[in-house]
Amino acid sequence: MDLINLNIMGPLIPLGHIATGWDFVIALLIGIAFGFILEASGFSSSRNITGVFYGYNFVVLRVFMTAVVVAMIGLLYFNYMGWIDLNLVFVLPTYLNSMIAGSLIMGLGFVLGGFCPGTSYTAIAIGKIDAIVFTAGLFLGIFIFSEAFPLIEGFYNGGNLGSITMGEMFGVSNQIVAFSFVIIALIAFYVTWLIEKKVRRKITPYKFE
Amino acid sequence: MHIHELNPKKTLIAFVIFAIVIIAGLITLSGPRLKYKLSAEKTIELVAWDDGYVFPYEIEDVLVGAIDTVIIIDIRNTFDFSRGHIPGAENISAVELLSKENIKRMTKLQKDGYKVLLYGETLLQANGPWMVFRQLGFDNVSALMGGYQYYEIWKDNLADSYADDGYLEGAADFDYADVAANANVTEDDEQKQSLNVTRRKKSTVVEGGC
Amino acid sequence: MNKNYIFLAALLIILAGGLLFLPEKNNQVQENPENLMWDIAQPTRYVTTDQVAKMIIEKDPLFQLVDVRQNYDYEYFSLPGAYNVPIDSLLTEISDIILDTDDINTILYSDDDIKADQAWVIAKRMGYNNIYVMKGGLNCWIRTIIQPEAPPETAPITDLELYEFRKGASLFFTGAAISVDTDNKQGLKITRKKKETVAEGGC
Repeated sequence: MDLINLNIMGPLIPLGHIATGWDFVIALLIGIAFGFILEASGFSSSRNITGVFYGYNFVVLRVFMTAVVVAMIGLLYFNYMGWIDLNLVFVLPTYLNSMIAGSLIMGLGFVLGGFCPGTSYTAIAIGKIDAIVFTAGLFLGIFIFSEAFPLIEGFYNGGNLGSITMGEMFGVSNQIVAFSFVIIALIAFYVTWLIEKKVRRKITPYKFE
Repeated sequence: MHIHELNPKKTLIAFVIFAIVIIAGLITLSGPRLKYKLSAEKTIELVAWDDGYVFPYEIEDVLVGAIDTVIIIDIRNTFDFSRGHIPGAENISAVELLSKENIKRMTKLQKDGYKVLLYGETLLQANGPWMVFRQLGFDNVSALMGGYQYYEIWKDNLADSYADDGYLEGAADFDYADVAANANVTEDDEQKQSLNVTRRKKSTVVEGGC
Repeated sequence: MNKNYIFLAALLIILAGGLLFLPEKNNQVQENPENLMWDIAQPTRYVTTDQVAKMIIEKDPLFQLVDVRQNYDYEYFSLPGAYNVPIDSLLTEISDIILDTDDINTILYSDDDIKADQAWVIAKRMGYNNIYVMKGGLNCWIRTIIQPEAPPETAPITDLELYEFRKGASLFFTGAAISVDTDNKQGLKITRKKKETVAEGGC
């Protein structure tokens, strides 16, 4: 049975199946879809977003974990079936020092401001004023960082582990990491469901019709 | 209200489609027609051992008819074949050697215990196809040293070629340093390349943030 | 707990579990046998000793020589500027750095051309490009460059020019005076159009 033997292998642009000029067009389309989904999941409301930190609304956790799990499983299967070459997919290099510091700052900003950088734009799109202020603050912070960059450049580049994956770091294969992550995600879904049931008084049960 | 509360079945349908795509991909996974049976490491061992070549005097028995479990294949093109070939040889030029029918035939020959001898104009020409066959797992394939060139010179008294070395290829004919080092120091010492190991970064696509 | 949630969770676990049992995929993409055979049938991988001599003399930046013999042979004698990658270390990391070049042509050589050709087949299977084989190997190198044969008087002018080149190359590589008679031979000028052939000449 040779139905889907395409002779095309992902990733499409680095391997030349799509011309590189399409980069931005595809980015635009993916961005539109991403914004749509974020808004449809209710991420433009800062209550939903900070709900994770205050413990009454875990939709952020559920949406993102589902996305990660689907992507992981899909990519690993596609890699096995030869539809994509995972060695060519970009992996962000890990700079331990600056990433830990940056995530602390971002977590703080998340809770204080009620948005993360991406969702602040979806909120602007629906016209929220606090999102506009948040984004202005975002630009200001980036500007200050770039002006002060020579001072912190050493720290910025510290702790470089290169483009490693979690599997490589712990010495297990990617599949095992994916499986354990799925288990963790399912447990997290269950636990958050229990917490939400207890905490939210007016929760509309989700009806499958 | 979340969008999936308006259309409740969407989540279910999306997931089921996801699962079907993956399962369909796994089912339609087809392996290539020809698979290497020898890994690259084993192939290196194979060429180091040097036992896949046949000396010209050894085919005397085959030509006379004393041994009839050997098939001789000429891998040159049809023109060269028609100008002269080893009697009893078949002509299959190199690119057709891996066609479906030939592979079927080779598998059958291997099962029946036949040996296959490839030859070209020289051993060099037959070397490539011989290596490919060995890597595909046909260990009954050998190549003729000296090729047709050597055979043509000695074809009337092949058995006597045992004493001659003319077909020996792959060995050094000269004591190189002796011949080439007539008064110079430049040959060996400074010319060795020292290796500066710089790992070349593979080019990657632009990254993105949150 | 709505049973559809349970169904979705079970689906996820099954898919993820299936991942665990996937066999180890060989990441390195090897060339498949048919393409390999096709590449073998092309004679374009051979370069003559004259071409190699020219490239060394002119210090061509886009090529590198690789000696596939054993280390002791390499230490005893090798062509100037050659790296040593014995066949049994063809797949190590160091060799990967030497062989994996997109713009530099790698020319393999050995005593005779058999071992270099075998190394070429393996390198081609592992997907390296721009790999060539010096036809005739070092035996031919000695016969053509170091000790070139003088062509007879009736040879065409191209043969004589080649011989002059080889004499010069021999001087370059050995630094010794070669005793050949230097009367200016006037060769026959044959005005046949030279066909473009691949790796002619040599031994």
